[in-house]
Amino acid sequence: MSKTILAVDDSGSLRQMLTFSLKAAGYRVIEAVDGQDALNKAKLQQADLVLTDQNMPGMDGLSLIKALRGLKNYQTVPILMLTTESGDDMKAKGRAAGANGWLVKPFDPARLTEVVKKLIG
Amino acid sequence: MAANDMSPGEQLNAEVVQLLSGVSANGGQHLAEIERDLVQMDVLLDEAIKKVCASFMAIHHAVDQQQEALNSLQAGGMSAAEYAARFEALHGEISQHVGAAVTGLQFQDMTSQLIGRMARHLAGLRDVFGALETSSLVPAESSDADLLAALVHISNRVTTRFAELEGGVRSTVKQRHMESGDIELF
Repeated sequence: MSKTILAVDDSGSLRQMLTFSLKAAGYRVIEAVDGQDALNKAKLQQADLVLTDQNMPGMDGLSLIKALRGLKNYQTVPILMLTTESGDDMKAKGRAAGANGWLVKPFDPARLTEVVKKLIG
Repeated sequence: MAANDMSPGEQLNAEVVQLLSGVSANGGQHLAEIERDLVQMDVLLDEAIKKVCASFMAIHHAVDQQQEALNSLQAGGMSAAEYAARFEALHGEISQHVGAAVTGLQFQDMTSQLIGRMARHLAGLRDVFGALETSSLVPAESSDADLLAALVHISNRVTTRFAELEGGVRSTVKQRHMESGDIELF
């Protein structure tokens, strides 16, 4: 059974690109438009990996990570940030919140799927 | 000279100069940031369009080559094994070009963030110019003291608006090119 990835981004075109790339690599993708939407969906369906943007209306990426880490079944699930932010201070905040990696946009599909494969197979 | 040692006329002059200098310096700084964002957006869009166009042409070329290989197979000019190898190579080539197109197509996400930042700068500047409105504060026949009080009030409003603008507009898009970004695993 294919692994499930929760892809969170407020940009519709970015979500489309993520879903296209991850599905082509054989993953099942659940899309969410912001942190709150992601949190609701994460509670309904278990994801094997979460890929989230940082700057989103409502709940941002860092708040989402903290909320997910507070859920019993998301304490060890790999969470990657995919964002335009590239500053060391933001990366440190992401790491402290519980992120497992930091990817700077724009992403290259081959490199993205390589990282995902490394984390969840 | 301390404000207390100045005549009302001198205080008025000093306040006008301070207000205009503040508006000029802060306004100029915010407009310069908008200009930088526009230049950055222009570069990103230009590179994104070039990348997407190049990928589109390359995919079209690879599909043509696939068709030629298929024609050659059907005409007996190519063995099934040769065709399979050629097909696999072209498939890999197409995947690579599609990947480059996907990277290029992410321009919308970055440019919309830049546009959002510019819109916040402009809305903030509109508030600042709104704070310069004087008609409700200065009666038709005003003394220097009335004018000074009105100018101090306007100055304070402008300073507050600039401070709000300063805190609310942070650049999140540092990318200068449409090349794929760094990956760091913790």
